[in-house]
Amino acid sequence: MARSIWNGTITFGLTAVPVKVHSATEDKSVHFHQVHARDGARIKQKRICSKENKEVPYREVVKGYQVGKGKYVVLTQEEIDAAAGERAHVIELEEFVCAPEIDPVYYDRAYYLGAGADGADAYRLLHDALRRAGRVGIGRWVFHNREYLVAVRPLDEVLALQTMRFAGELVDPSKLDVPEPSRAPSKREVEMAGKLVDTLHERFDPAAFEDSYRERVLALIAAKARGEDPELPEAAETEDGTDLMAALEASLGARGRS
Amino acid sequence: MARSLWTGSLSFGLVNVPVSLVTAVRDLDLHFHQLHEKDGAPIETKRWCSQEDVEVPYEEITHGYELEDGRQVIVSDLELAAIEPRKTRTIDIEQFVDLVDVDPIYFDHPYFLLPASSDDGATRAYRLLTEVMGRTERAALGRFVMRAREYLALVRAREGVLSLTTMLFADEIRPTKDIDAATQKAHKPTRRQLEVAVAVIEELSTDFEPERYKDEYRARLERVVKRKRKGETITAPDERDQPTPAPDIMDALERTLAELKDGGSGRWSDARRSQGAKRR
Repeated sequence: MARSIWNGTITFGLTAVPVKVHSATEDKSVHFHQVHARDGARIKQKRICSKENKEVPYREVVKGYQVGKGKYVVLTQEEIDAAAGERAHVIELEEFVCAPEIDPVYYDRAYYLGAGADGADAYRLLHDALRRAGRVGIGRWVFHNREYLVAVRPLDEVLALQTMRFAGELVDPSKLDVPEPSRAPSKREVEMAGKLVDTLHERFDPAAFEDSYRERVLALIAAKARGEDPELPEAAETEDGTDLMAALEASLGARGRS
Repeated sequence: MARSLWTGSLSFGLVNVPVSLVTAVRDLDLHFHQLHEKDGAPIETKRWCSQEDVEVPYEEITHGYELEDGRQVIVSDLELAAIEPRKTRTIDIEQFVDLVDVDPIYFDHPYFLLPASSDDGATRAYRLLTEVMGRTERAALGRFVMRAREYLALVRAREGVLSLTTMLFADEIRPTKDIDAATQKAHKPTRRQLEVAVAVIEELSTDFEPERYKDEYRARLERVVKRKRKGETITAPDERDQPTPAPDIMDALERTLAELKDGGSGRWSDARRSQGAKRR
């Protein structure tokens, strides 16, 4: 059984659904330790007091919020916890929206929900009702000293919870400085580019993409573990196309031949 | 202007658009510093060699990978750079997909791609891509390498700007088979329960207007800091009783629906109002 990272209750109206939260994702990239090149020894992070220039044991470390140069307000963990409020273990689904209305930029980390103690019937009901209504529940979740906006939705047979960013945390695209060309792309260029998009159009199949870089890192490690000196390929450069129309035509031509 | 995290070219067939990558996220979290309790002095973290008891400058640090048998393989930056894909400075558009087919579970971090130069050719190619993609509701899939990692990325037009979202690979999504989703027949809702639950959901349905949701936790944490600064004592509020599943789900659903239809005069709606929840 997968270990849960948070237990609490989801409510919608007066119905309470006890749930367990499980991580839906795992980082598969290759992680290294920092080591000292000279002797291969692990690097440790040492906490040093900037005044005494001495190592500080963890129990003597407190958290400070900076309010001025060299001025801090010290908070204990209990005081920080106070900000979680009185509904720290409840996710209330305040409202329900249509999933396609949520722009992908809002989505952050994904989790699966499992049914909590005595919650099996309510869990199934919420799952089936969301599926039937074609809606996603929106609520708030306090987790690891932060509050997240969350979307709760059916994903196959389970309920999935995905944290979302608050609107204020996102950069407004209209505030970006995007240099404009002196003349807009011609109708013909737009048509050609549209054709190219069509020829490259496929149904999304996530399994078609593998992390080939991760594979290469693992192969490099394996070769070095066998004592081999890996042969290093040279990196190649790309060139920029300048004639837009010619590049579009050539792209379509290359596609047509293949 | 936002700091560029990566520059290279977005390649679409034989068209190359010079672009730079900027983050689409602003960090608004309150950050704390580690302090030494005794004297209130900031803590500095230093990289220390576990064998020699000396501080290690950054240039002397390399990467160690621990094998299953406990041995360690040292891999240098140079070696890692050498196995980066040949086109590290290119996001190659491999295919176009319909945005609705991409489950949000794959989304990782959002960025913007901006034209890397104000050169006329570059900005026109950029404009061409945003126009074509905006028109078709399609998104481009490609890969690129940043900070010694390969990313799968989804590029699409958003308000005239190219938006890039890094994506997880399929094997980074966990299977759901170990999750207790109460799929046994005994937990299947009755037709009436389902109808009323759907009716509750529909009553609470609204358009997604993200600007309406504010980070209340951050506001509470800011208040805690302010009160502490004034020397007040801060205690955590007692957590309200955990709501427990109603013995009779049907009854809970019907009471909810009645309150909602009633314009919200009941106990539950009062609680909602006091939390500042807004309804259509």
